[in-house]
Amino acid sequence: MNLVGLALRNLRRRPVRTGLSILGIGLAVGSALALIALSRSIKDSTQEGIDEMGDDLVVMQKGASDIFGGFIPEQMVEHIAAIRGVVRASGELFMFAPSAGHTSVLTLGWPDTSYLWKKVPLREGRVPQQGERHVAVLGEAAAASLGKKLGDELELVGETFRVIGIANYTTVVNRGLVLVPLADLQEASYRTRQVTMIHVNVDRGGGPAELSRVRSSIEALGNVTASTANDVLNNDRNFAILKAVSLAVSIIAVAIGALNVLTALVMATQERTREIGIFAAIGWSRTRIITSIVSEGVVMCAFGCILGELFSFAAALVFPHIPTIGDLISVKPHVAVIVPILLAAFALCIVGALLPAWRAAQLIPADALRRI
Amino acid sequence: MSAPTPRDDVMMNVMNLRPTLEVDRHDLLRLVRPRSLDSRPLISLRGVSRLYDGGAITALQNVDLQIDAGDCMAIVGASGSGKSSLVNMLCGIDHPSSGTVVWEGRPQRTRQDWAKLRRLSIGIVFQEFNLIPTLTALENVELALFGRGLSGSRRQARAATVLEYVGLQHRLNNLITRLSGGERQRVAIARAIVNAPALLIGDEPTGNLDSTSAANVAALMFRLCEDYGMTLVLVTHDEKLAARCPRQVRIKDGVIVEDTAIPDPLLELQGTA
Repeated sequence: MNLVGLALRNLRRRPVRTGLSILGIGLAVGSALALIALSRSIKDSTQEGIDEMGDDLVVMQKGASDIFGGFIPEQMVEHIAAIRGVVRASGELFMFAPSAGHTSVLTLGWPDTSYLWKKVPLREGRVPQQGERHVAVLGEAAAASLGKKLGDELELVGETFRVIGIANYTTVVNRGLVLVPLADLQEASYRTRQVTMIHVNVDRGGGPAELSRVRSSIEALGNVTASTANDVLNNDRNFAILKAVSLAVSIIAVAIGALNVLTALVMATQERTREIGIFAAIGWSRTRIITSIVSEGVVMCAFGCILGELFSFAAALVFPHIPTIGDLISVKPHVAVIVPILLAAFALCIVGALLPAWRAAQLIPADALRRI
Repeated sequence: MSAPTPRDDVMMNVMNLRPTLEVDRHDLLRLVRPRSLDSRPLISLRGVSRLYDGGAITALQNVDLQIDAGDCMAIVGASGSGKSSLVNMLCGIDHPSSGTVVWEGRPQRTRQDWAKLRRLSIGIVFQEFNLIPTLTALENVELALFGRGLSGSRRQARAATVLEYVGLQHRLNNLITRLSGGERQRVAIARAIVNAPALLIGDEPTGNLDSTSAANVAALMFRLCEDYGMTLVLVTHDEKLAARCPRQVRIKDGVIVEDTAIPDPLLELQGTA
């Protein structure tokens, strides 16, 4: 028998309280993991969506707080395309466009001549022909959630579009897209001759130095920034807020888990005052008494963390099947998310266990032995 | 001294389990040392008082008491006379309101000092057994070996050997709740002696036992005192049991009123300072 064995034995003495405490820790850790994973997944899903388009650089309005917040004159696309080293460039206007039934769908408008149309992985149908108006290509998830198929009509921002193609993109964000001609979206959204961002492909033979030069040349055009997709999302205010909120809520959740440990151990040590007196009477040092009680907290935390892990994996399995979530993001628990949360949970649980442990160690053995 | 018994061999095995520890050699020497050569004070109380409730209750009043290594003494007195307070001072599970407790010439002041003493040199047997009910007999004894730097297997082996010494080799893995009162007290004795303490304190160790179990437990404790020179302090209200101890200390209202080792005129000086 060792201190961990003793801790397990003590926890098994009060199975209901121990179970509820572990459940509390599990829910706290699971919530924290799910929240952080969710906010991370939103960013990852968006980045994967941009990456799937094959961009080297993304050009946005300088100072735009988020990817929806800036607008660039459409003629800027020609200036960028003319820069040496730029292979091709395409403007894009995007927005969450209101559709029938009070739903909003992420809608992208591309020019008729954009190279992006040629990269659409069509499952069925076709992409718009040059000059064709009021037609739309839907991602598979968008088609499913809107209940549309080829030839159906779709209402977007008060305009009617005919579905002419279904695309089977691989990333969650792109699977939920609606693609329409740029001119239609500009007109419907009162953004005539404006785009939200410009996709840029660079001659990759030049390496990082060439990419950097092109980037500088684009930014020299004035009032725009050229970034990689990762940089765009890292600087995005919405993602920063989302991350901060998730972190704050996660800290609260884990702190509640630690409070569970504290409550359980305060009660356990009060009930076991006499037992702690026995430990002291047979010569256990304060450190050993504290360690034995903290061990119980750590054991509870370990089981709670395992439970929380299972909850978060369950969330990762279930969330994609919930249409309003699964259409936009994919929740992926990741080591980079799990490890900090678990470390925080253990740290807080140890802090939560220290108070009752410290109080127990302060007891005068004779007084403790008098307790019933 | 009586001829060695099989149990004596078991006890010597307990000692032999520990040759790797410096402190164990010290313990071993102490235990086999003839009493006549070792009459230095083991523990002394010097002007010890214990007050409760801000001085409203005086449990001990200016008590001086010296216990030599190898002593076998009984502390007797009526209920509420201060016996338990005195024994609490002797094993450091309570602290004096004033005065000093000295162990082998060194005043014991901190809780760490006392914890170390209880871990290495003082064994306590309580009236209420004070065993952990959810643990087995073996595990209860093993608890007292934590912090001695022994591996789990050595702790178990040693605890088992001592339990065998007290006659519980067939009860090693029984939960405490499955043992009789006499068996529980023998587990408590095993826990108290597993570290081969210099001082064994019994606080009414037979108080909760039937007559047969009480006789067995008393015999066990006296044998430890007689055969191994373990210093024994027995707190009891049983005059017959106390009479078996060569030295008797009587306490009344927190003051020692009789000590068979001290002439009466000297004793009268106590409690008047």
